Amino acid sequence: MEQLISELKTKIVDILNLPDVKPEDIQEDAQLVGGELGIDSIDVLEMVIMIEKDYGVAINNKELGAKVFATLRTLANYIQEKAPELPN
Amino acid sequence: MTGGAVYIAGMGIVSSLGLGLDETLDALITGKRALTPASPFPILLPQHLPVGAASAVSLENAAETPPRTHRLARLAADQALASCGEPPDAIVLGSTTGGILTTESLFERKIVDPQRYGMHALGSIAEDLARRCGCTGPVVTVSTACSSGAVAIKLALEMLRCGFARRVLAGGADSLCRLTYFGFNALQLIDPDGARPLDRDRRGMSVAEGAAMLLLSLAPSDAGGLQVIGAGLSCDAYHATTPHPEGAGAMAAMQAALDDAGVAVSEIDYINLHGTGTIDNDLSEARAVKTLFASGLPPASSIKGATGHPLAAAGAIEAVVAALSIEHGLIPANVGLGTIDPALDMAPVTSPLKRPVTTVLSNSFGFGGNNAALIVSRNPRRSEAFPAALGSPGLSIVGRACLSGAGSTEETRRAFFMDHACRGLMADGALAQGLPPRLIRRLKRLPKMALSLAVQAREGVDAAQMPVMVSMGTAWGALSETHDFLDRLFETGQQYPSPTDFIGSVHNAPAGQIAMLIGAKGANVTTSGGDYSFEQALLAADLLTRQTADPILVVGADEYHPVFSPLFDASVRLAAQPADGGGGLLLQRVQAPGDLRIALVYYGAGGNAEGLKTMIDALGGANVTGRRYGALMVGLPAARREAADRQLDRFLALSRFDGPVIDYRRLTGEFAAASAVATVLAAEMVSQGSVPGPLVGGTDQALNGKGVLVLGLGDFITATRVFVS
Repeated sequence: MEQLISELKTKIVDILNLPDVKPEDIQEDAQLVGGELGIDSIDVLEMVIMIEKDYGVAINNKELGAKVFATLRTLANYIQEKAPELPN
Repeated sequence: MTGGAVYIAGMGIVSSLGLGLDETLDALITGKRALTPASPFPILLPQHLPVGAASAVSLENAAETPPRTHRLARLAADQALASCGEPPDAIVLGSTTGGILTTESLFERKIVDPQRYGMHALGSIAEDLARRCGCTGPVVTVSTACSSGAVAIKLALEMLRCGFARRVLAGGADSLCRLTYFGFNALQLIDPDGARPLDRDRRGMSVAEGAAMLLLSLAPSDAGGLQVIGAGLSCDAYHATTPHPEGAGAMAAMQAALDDAGVAVSEIDYINLHGTGTIDNDLSEARAVKTLFASGLPPASSIKGATGHPLAAAGAIEAVVAALSIEHGLIPANVGLGTIDPALDMAPVTSPLKRPVTTVLSNSFGFGGNNAALIVSRNPRRSEAFPAALGSPGLSIVGRACLSGAGSTEETRRAFFMDHACRGLMADGALAQGLPPRLIRRLKRLPKMALSLAVQAREGVDAAQMPVMVSMGTAWGALSETHDFLDRLFETGQQYPSPTDFIGSVHNAPAGQIAMLIGAKGANVTTSGGDYSFEQALLAADLLTRQTADPILVVGADEYHPVFSPLFDASVRLAAQPADGGGGLLLQRVQAPGDLRIALVYYGAGGNAEGLKTMIDALGGANVTGRRYGALMVGLPAARREAADRQLDRFLALSRFDGPVIDYRRLTGEFAAASAVATVLAAEMVSQGSVPGPLVGGTDQALNGKGVLVLGLGDFITATRVFVS
């Protein structure tokens, strides 16, 4: 799990092109979207695509998205639970 | 004067509901739902989303020319013009897709023959219609995403009201294509069960296609006497894709349309909702409508559960539906609705209603927060607001800026005035200078250029003169985003297209970014017409300021893209080196003696034998041209060099102009928005009162109060005066 969280931090910073944000700036239990990092609804859609592409996990509606993207930990938990190939 | 009456003299329509007025009416009467998985391009994914395909045009041969959008537009235009003998004076068409279906199909197969991409441009649809019907006047293309068709009708209305034209063909056209199908899906804005506007369980729209055209005329017609009596535009300046949650912009557009028409809310018999079926649109529109119609909501419905969402065609299709509703006393049903969403607190019409209808309000909203509302009626317009009497022609130049390979305004001016080339590509980092990093983190080249021009053009300008409206011309739009979207779509077998690139790919995305950066909540228009896109933006600015002194920012910009620019733009192919850039002018309709002014004097077809003569007449006649203008800045696009040279010779012979002629593309390089750079530099010359010596092979030539004329030649001929009043 910790490895997945660390991997996600790097990927998020990489795909979202967030200025002045380093992977370690993302707190696992802090609000992920709409908080200080500046991640917004369009970033969520980019993350949805990345998660489907890299982990084979689909998050294809807004209600589900709101729950899954609450924090980085809820996101990692969801991927862990649904990903076909990740070891538990 | 006609009192601003604009009649509907002819109509044409093609959509998923059918071809022509009769088939459309039948479909509305029966409440047909025309959403199917049929598509003009192959879908590799297991799930085929329902779309609204116009089966009047075969779904085969997606790579063909003329492209599908052009074919749809031809069908609608032929119907609208069927009963009239002479061509319209002007054409205004809304489109977001142009020839993209053809482009995608070729690009996927890695075909690099530029001839086959010849009708990619948005502007090529209206130009095709103009050729077919013999229209030699202005041919304007509007691209404001899903409100394009309605915005086109608004501009046509203003053209007619100010006497610029007597008959205008106006409408919208878009075809289904991969870009919008996979793009909206990546945004999670498509309902897998088909659009269910206003439904509690709605999950999005269904992309669709179609075209509708209205022949608008100052002369009353035999056909029922229906009029377009009002139109209003606004911009949310809130978010690239999400509407303002309370519908503030939607309300402003509807209110502006009501004011324009001079009618009260109680006189609206039917509201044709934008009602796309997305969660956010329907909620914010319902809030806006309910606030505005607090005293009592008339019957309302969205037809997008029947047609799907035909994007740029929607506003025009629904204007035709509004006319049909009045003519036949029919209120169409909100097809596709199962359970009304209690959160909306409004009940749409669930089955078609037969009852007299006199006046209809039709909404169209789009990405970038671009809102438009139209009012069609059997009754005449009652507005007091007639086009203001114009004193000195044109608009005051309040601020200005340009970009070129040499750099920003000052670097460009210095190079150009020394007769040094300023062609090339400004470094990306330099473009982003002064722009907030968070704002531009997702933006590629064109929106950065647009924002940079907006910021620079406002420098040193009084708070009272900050832009409220935006009019931007771009021939090719955001090529980087369009390319990257398609590239990743094909690379990943249609699985993982980028939502960010899709949002950025729409032609009006840069103008929407400008609106958000500077809080400009008035009309926000993007025009596209090849090398004359900036002149179209100037024309739109002229029309949008006829009744207001609100300042408007006019921008012309085009980016160079290593793959797409040479493929699409024949002049770029012939250029020695890549170049791009643009110009921005902050303009205002005020009368101040001694101020720097700009006026677009002429815009017409280049192939018209009488065009140059008419242009010179508009400039004041042969003997006046030399007295009024101290220099000619002339745009001779490389791909049209021979024809443009002949036009220039003829212009010089007819006007007897013998002052300096500056071929500006020699220095700016070849790109569609070069005329925007040239116009800003012309303003610099007039402002300093002289033509720089190096440009004319001698010493500085004093203008002695004369202006500079910017001439566009080639497929179209344009004349823009820059002068001191």
